[in-house]
Amino acid sequence: MTATIWPALAALLVSAAGVLGLLLAEKQWAVIAIVIAAGVAMLVATRLGWDDRIRRSGGAHACTVSGVALALVVATAFVLREHNFALLMLCTVLLTIVAGLGLTIQFGHAGVVNFAGAAFFGIGAYAAAVLATKTALPHPLVILAGGVCAALIGSVLVLPLLRTRGHYAALITIAFGILFKTFLEVNDTLGGPQGLKVPGFALLGHAFNDPIAIDDETEWSFYLAYAGLSLVIAAAAYVLVRRLERSWIGLAFDAVRLDETAAAAFGVNVAAWKIAAFSIGNFLIGLAGAAYAMMTGFVAPTSFTFGDSLILVSIVILGGLGNALGLVPAALIVVLLPEKLQAIQEYRFLLFALLVIVILLVRPGGLLPRPMRDYSAGEIR
Amino acid sequence: MDPGLLAQHAFNGLMLGVIYALVAVGFTLFFGVLDVIKFSHGDVVMLGAFTALAVSAGLTGAGVMSHPLVLLAMLVIAITLMAVVGALLARLLVLPLRGAPAINVLLITLMAGTVIREGVRLFYPQGSNPKPFPRLLPGGTIEIGSFTLRHDSAILFVIGVAAIVGVYLTLARTRLGLAIRAVAQDPETAAAMGIPLTATVLATFAIGSALAALAGVVNGLYYSEISFNLGLLLGAIGFSAAVVGGLGNVYGAILGGFLFAALQTIGAVALPFASAYKDVFAFAAVIVLMALRPAGLLAERSAERI
Amino acid sequence: MKFASLFVALVIALAGLPVEAKDTVRIAFIGPLTGGVSANGLGGRNSADLAVRLRNADAKAPYTYELVVLDDECKPNVGVQVATKAAADNGIVAGVTHYCSTVAMAAVEVYRKFGLPVVVWGAVLPDITYANDYKEVHRVNGTMINQNEAAARFMTGLKFKRWAVIHDTTDYGKGHNKYFSEDLAKNGGQILGTFGVTADQQDFSAELTKIKELKPEVIYFAGLTPIGVRIRSQMDKLGVKAVFQGTSGIVSDAFIEGLGPLAEGVVAFREGAPAEKLPGGRAFLDAYTKQKYPDDPEAYGPFAFAAATLIMDAIDRVGPDRKKVRAELNRTRDYDSIVGKITFDDRRQNAVPLITRFVVQDGKWLVWEDSDYASGKRALVKK
Repeated sequence: MTATIWPALAALLVSAAGVLGLLLAEKQWAVIAIVIAAGVAMLVATRLGWDDRIRRSGGAHACTVSGVALALVVATAFVLREHNFALLMLCTVLLTIVAGLGLTIQFGHAGVVNFAGAAFFGIGAYAAAVLATKTALPHPLVILAGGVCAALIGSVLVLPLLRTRGHYAALITIAFGILFKTFLEVNDTLGGPQGLKVPGFALLGHAFNDPIAIDDETEWSFYLAYAGLSLVIAAAAYVLVRRLERSWIGLAFDAVRLDETAAAAFGVNVAAWKIAAFSIGNFLIGLAGAAYAMMTGFVAPTSFTFGDSLILVSIVILGGLGNALGLVPAALIVVLLPEKLQAIQEYRFLLFALLVIVILLVRPGGLLPRPMRDYSAGEIR
Repeated sequence: MDPGLLAQHAFNGLMLGVIYALVAVGFTLFFGVLDVIKFSHGDVVMLGAFTALAVSAGLTGAGVMSHPLVLLAMLVIAITLMAVVGALLARLLVLPLRGAPAINVLLITLMAGTVIREGVRLFYPQGSNPKPFPRLLPGGTIEIGSFTLRHDSAILFVIGVAAIVGVYLTLARTRLGLAIRAVAQDPETAAAMGIPLTATVLATFAIGSALAALAGVVNGLYYSEISFNLGLLLGAIGFSAAVVGGLGNVYGAILGGFLFAALQTIGAVALPFASAYKDVFAFAAVIVLMALRPAGLLAERSAERI
Repeated sequence: MKFASLFVALVIALAGLPVEAKDTVRIAFIGPLTGGVSANGLGGRNSADLAVRLRNADAKAPYTYELVVLDDECKPNVGVQVATKAAADNGIVAGVTHYCSTVAMAAVEVYRKFGLPVVVWGAVLPDITYANDYKEVHRVNGTMINQNEAAARFMTGLKFKRWAVIHDTTDYGKGHNKYFSEDLAKNGGQILGTFGVTADQQDFSAELTKIKELKPEVIYFAGLTPIGVRIRSQMDKLGVKAVFQGTSGIVSDAFIEGLGPLAEGVVAFREGAPAEKLPGGRAFLDAYTKQKYPDDPEAYGPFAFAAATLIMDAIDRVGPDRKKVRAELNRTRDYDSIVGKITFDDRRQNAVPLITRFVVQDGKWLVWEDSDYASGKRALVKK
């Protein structure tokens, strides 16, 4: 039995409308109304079993649905073309999703913990700052180099990480994250606590920091270009992660996560797969960091604290560990909501933390828990 | 180096170690019974300190001037309240998530910590500023050469050590301790033997959080100052100490606490480069240590099931 | 307030009198409202809010003002976000922005890009105004250069010779350390040891025990109130007997509240005249108390108040147009404010002529000249 495409399309359209509304909402009641509506919709959908139908229909028409999703993001960005701030938030959400995808491979798939996400994000950002200032490397390569640097520096941790597991491995990454930030602060070679300026992204002679002049009257936000860049990176990263997950590599990751001993007994090279997951993950996180740095134009150590690493981990858990799709609502909540709650000023973190607690109590497995691999239909989903 | 100064450094390190150990023991207890990390632990330490501060302010306002009485009230109320808070956190946030991945507990307790921290900052009067903690212990000093030891520091050291010994004895000698150890070793078998799982877990969280309250009060009395975000770093260090020592092992946590204090002190005192690098040094040492002893210094013997 | 004015408007409307509706003009306030230095951010926020309320209560003012408050969390990435939010919103005409220097450094680029005129109210890093020539960026408070020149000259003038330096490893502490060390060398003082500490450090006994060995006469501390309180109180615990000299970051009521009697004899320096010494300053403090804000204005509250007032005066004169307001702010000369006369130099930095020396006496920050220490009744170094 093949499911129809309509449930997935409907879900996508409703979500896109909600996101657009949230990005544009100025008034506090509007923000709260959207959040409550989203919560109710989620509850109702679960209660009536729609979530399952949406998932099946999405799975049956994966290509079309992904295409529509992509088109919807492009449409959202286009609607927002003159709203600088909303576009900046959209880019931030997209790049956070890329970093979250990196952590998903590590945490969710191969079970390699990483509590230094912000540090690897920072490595990418700093690499971009240095390479874009000191070298003439084309900027797309600068962003790739940011990812490579993060993966390379991450390899320092490979040896201790392979020897430890669980919370012991967590400690190693925590220690690395704190060490990284402190080192940047006390050591002046990379700007010290003041940080570094980063030049804006340029491609084929077009500087992304220039507004896009349409005619004398209208000028589109320069963030539109960055939204395009972020979307390309995010889409590529998403496809990569989903392809990996469905391939035999993903199976190997799962085996390593679920039972190292059994995996080893069946000839899976546990160490190699752990290294692979850790490096691919760090590469994605570094990529996001590099792009983010070029967009905001400034890097400083205080943006890459242990607290920021925990925020990244929160996104992965909140979305549903291991489910790449869950990152989207989670990143929206974690990145956008505190920002949209600015009007309650000093109370916003309190409210935000309470909200996350409520979500976890209602949905202990996260917003969209990773579905089990299902072989029954004769295809790997 | 002047022996007096050496003694001074040694005592500084030991005192720091006691505070870290008090926090680390909590982490290791929680991990022992439920295999979870409760990240709000540092903030419970802070809440304990602020509870004590509120008690002292209230009593002083009511005209009670006797220092020992205020101190006793502070300790009793802070410890009892935090024990309740700890048990509540376990009941409301940790236990309901038993079916979910263990890491989700980390997120929910992290957020609970944020709620506690932001709550104190916003709702304690002038909570965003550092608060002076009353000096309730005798303030005289013993000076031997360049070694200065305040009486209150010495008393706090003794209190801290006594508390750690007390917890150890509870675990080793009492029926409750036996139940906790049984649940830690194998919850199913323990339950089959008639040990009430939920009650034991709650008791463990209450004990750990009571220790946190004590750590908060000791911290306040020792530094004469507390602030709403003292739990952040203390929590991270307590967790590190517990892991370095070997999770689930009380001795390990104590050892880890003292080791971490020693690393920081050595980093600040004895290294050739600037003292600002001491945290870089301490955490780098932790990474190396974990590479050498992957399951902590005193590894849980049943950790490797292969 | 709002309801009261609404009510008045309603009554007038019902009475059938012609009422001239004022246009509402929005200005932004950005500062750290959450996190470790939120006390200063909340103090600044309240002060700017007070300025707006006072202006709105004034019937003669041509516009009604609305303060849009944003939290930068003292983090540059968040700072860029909120700066974009304010700057990209064409309804916002100008901003009173930033306490943290790193955040200000990142955000000035955004203001430049979008052409939002801002007045910095608390960040002290010289580079904010001097590293770029951005016509949008003004600053009412002085930089750390002024502060440390005066501090070094004054302290060596008191015949102190040997210093130990503790600074936090943020740009604030490191910058102060740099300028103070240079100025001290010029004035013949000697630095025996320099210790960098992290801004969230709790225990300083290792550093202080080392300092004890060096036997300095003065400990110079470059950092903010929370760890300043910790260091001063741990000095006492370890028996380190030296004068404690701080920077503008500890000139706060919280510092004294956090230390109690131990604060006695601590000296610190801040640019600008103390609010209570100026005619407008007293009125500011009274009005602030009357509003019953839950937080103190802190050291930089008066600057936030002055910055907001300066902006509103400019808008009152030239109308709510960013370019005109920018030009008007650029031209500021001898403007009377509660922190003294404001005159912007060619980099739109307020040339703060006066550095006030403070000393704690009997639980209050007193101006040095008015204290028992200056008159010789008390001595910084106890015999």
